[in-house]
Amino acid sequence: MNILILNGGPGDARGAACREVAGMVEGQARSKGWAVAVFDLAGLEIKPCRGCFACWLKHPGRCVIKDGQEAVLRTAAAGDLQVWITPVTFGGFGSILKRSVDRLLPNILPFFVRIDGEVHHPQRYERRRRLLALGTLAGPDEGAERIFHGLARRNALNFGNAAVLSGIVYEGEDRTAAAGRVRGLLEALGEER
Amino acid sequence: MKAAKDGSGAMRKALLLVGSPRGAKSASRMLGGYLMGKLEAGGMETAEMTAAAALQSTENQHRTHKAVDAAELVVVAFPLYVDGLPAPLVQALELIADRRKGSLPASPVAGPRVQRVAAVVQCGFPEARQNEAALAIVRQFAKEAGFEWAGGLAMGMGGAVTGKPLDKAGGMVRNVVKALDLAAAALLEGRDIPEEAAALMGKRLMPTWLYTFMGNRGMKRSAKKHGVLAQIYAKPYE
Repeated sequence: MNILILNGGPGDARGAACREVAGMVEGQARSKGWAVAVFDLAGLEIKPCRGCFACWLKHPGRCVIKDGQEAVLRTAAAGDLQVWITPVTFGGFGSILKRSVDRLLPNILPFFVRIDGEVHHPQRYERRRRLLALGTLAGPDEGAERIFHGLARRNALNFGNAAVLSGIVYEGEDRTAAAGRVRGLLEALGEER
Repeated sequence: MKAAKDGSGAMRKALLLVGSPRGAKSASRMLGGYLMGKLEAGGMETAEMTAAAALQSTENQHRTHKAVDAAELVVVAFPLYVDGLPAPLVQALELIADRRKGSLPASPVAGPRVQRVAAVVQCGFPEARQNEAALAIVRQFAKEAGFEWAGGLAMGMGGAVTGKPLDKAGGMVRNVVKALDLAAAALLEGRDIPEEAAALMGKRLMPTWLYTFMGNRGMKRSAKKHGVLAQIYAKPYE
């Protein structure tokens, strides 16, 4: 099992909860013998997507911007499980994670296909992959959490994931309980075939 | 047209924040710009900026905060990026929210007491409903940053209208024009964007089969023009 962890927490104190969650995922994945690649996105230079579609129509599969995202794209292409970690931001992903996620476009194809009655793009790399989205919040927020879980399901559909789970870790909560919940989500996705 | 003023006698102001990296040439700018034109015709003073420009420098960030402070209405117009907002727009909204929540120094500019946020989002998929999560994110931003939510408009098949001014794009966009006209009328009166406008905006511009057929053909033609049709399925990372 190849696992890609994208930690989208800020590099300063505001990203502490995300770093803890990334550490939990990495430790648990390694204990299962999975191959793990971790990207702390705040420390990488990743420019925003220009929306030029050159990755589809000029040099298929490659982004015109040469920066830290190239390694993310390469690892994502070979990944079985992607774990996205972010402060829940207005219910969605924070800008640090979103900058990298927006630039996963080269790994999908330009054409339209119908999937479950909706139009989507097929994947460039056929692989039965899974997605785990983990958000951190200062405390429970029903509205933001609902948006976050719904967004993860939409992302899974658009990136052709065979399975998706999402979870929230609260900044002040007991870390043993949080680690147990993260382990449960990882194991559930690890067993998916 | 008589200038619209708020209760204090000041000019009512609307700010358009464009989230597309393509800026002035984008479909988002075209849709938001049309709405701004209607608000201006109704007597509001309008201003616009792109999210990318808002982030460019400390000075631009300050200008953004000042413009937001002064606006009675902030309209966020953007393309759907991976089911959400483009990253620079998320970052601009993070900055605005952080400051309004008091984690950054407050601006000395006193703004209107009630400020509202509305959204216009378009995606390249045929189904307008694919924009739902993105609209929910802007609504949540409004709540967290202390704005009132004035509603949103979401359209699919955005690829079909790119580059053409709405008033010259013909009958295909008649429902989009009606939706924006209805939204502008409501916003000028301080009402939320009506359901009728949202429903009109969400109507398909053409049958799905035709849109996807034309889209797929257009992609192949463009790849051929660039000499990469044979490599369109390339897997450079395998």
